[in-house]
Amino acid sequence: MTPRLRLTLLGAALAALLPGTAAVIGRLPEFGATIATYGERINAIVPKERHVANMVSAINFDLRGLDTLGEEFMLLAAITGTVVLLRGRRGEDMTDRAMRLPGRAILPRSEAVVLTCRLAGPLLMLFGLYIVVHATVTPGGGFQGGVILASGTLLAYLGEGYSGWRDVVRSHWLDAMEGGGALLFALCGLAPMLVGAAFMQNVLPFGTFRDLYSGGLMLIENLGVALAVCGGFTQLFLEFLEETREADGPDEPGEDTA
Amino acid sequence: MTWLPYAVAAWLFAAGLYGLASSRNLIHLVGCLSVCQSATYVLLLGLGYRWGSIAPIFYDHPPGTPAVDPVMQALVLTDIVVGATLTALLLVLTVQIFKRSGTLDPEHLKPMRRKGDTR
Repeated sequence: MTPRLRLTLLGAALAALLPGTAAVIGRLPEFGATIATYGERINAIVPKERHVANMVSAINFDLRGLDTLGEEFMLLAAITGTVVLLRGRRGEDMTDRAMRLPGRAILPRSEAVVLTCRLAGPLLMLFGLYIVVHATVTPGGGFQGGVILASGTLLAYLGEGYSGWRDVVRSHWLDAMEGGGALLFALCGLAPMLVGAAFMQNVLPFGTFRDLYSGGLMLIENLGVALAVCGGFTQLFLEFLEETREADGPDEPGEDTA
Repeated sequence: MTWLPYAVAAWLFAAGLYGLASSRNLIHLVGCLSVCQSATYVLLLGLGYRWGSIAPIFYDHPPGTPAVDPVMQALVLTDIVVGATLTALLLVLTVQIFKRSGTLDPEHLKPMRRKGDTR
């Protein structure tokens, strides 16, 4: 199929879809005029019923918790697929340098970069933890905080070099975090059934509104999500960096971990 | 200008779709898919917006203050997380395709080709 024929086909398909699309767009509510009743009712009821200030977390972990469980396993499946596809006969040697192209000069890492990464790394991790634990109070939650934590580990790579990073980040720990987080979320769904409640029913005390402890079971689910996201994304970084590492390349003398 | 957010979403989607159809590089293709996906963020957030409302977080403002639709924001959050991992998965497939066939151009990929046939 030539590119021109393909674009013509696309144009024909779009022309066929156009009347329906135009009808739907014409019926869309006017921008900024009103919001759906479902969201309106959530905003009105949930702060009182669940003692939670962040509505987005309340939806993700309580009202539509089952959907988030599905998303969690989608995440797990995508990352498992990535790892399975990448982890072939490649070794798990941790001393080699990543991001090496043949013929590219290897510049020593500047002291300013090392210093910045050593200062910013712990602060970024702290910020990530803050975002994770305040899921039900202020903007944030397990997904956002988990990604921040995973990026924090990348600062260790920038500052300490690949081997230093691999010394800190162990692949099997990441596997455990990723799977354990998803398991924790699933157990949060099953545990209430032991006491006769429904799946993922919020049976814990709800705590105080605007307090760090608020939302009951949501906090544990949030922790599971944070673990899974942090482990999963770090695993992705690791696998991709490992892919850029030249397999079985000769060690260049004197390069060490500069 | 009340249609502007929807127009932006449609334009983003169209730009991404054109890229998908005309792409000559698989990495470019994955990027185009992300552009298409960002159209859904704009559309969802636009649908959930209401003038003069606060973010659906009742920390500084007491509950009962008019807020935008939290369901849309939760959906966008889901969308972003799944999109990020999906991009990673697609890039991995791209890496594997390059390893097996030595090309990134979808035009030159012939999955049904018999071994040894170099047409």
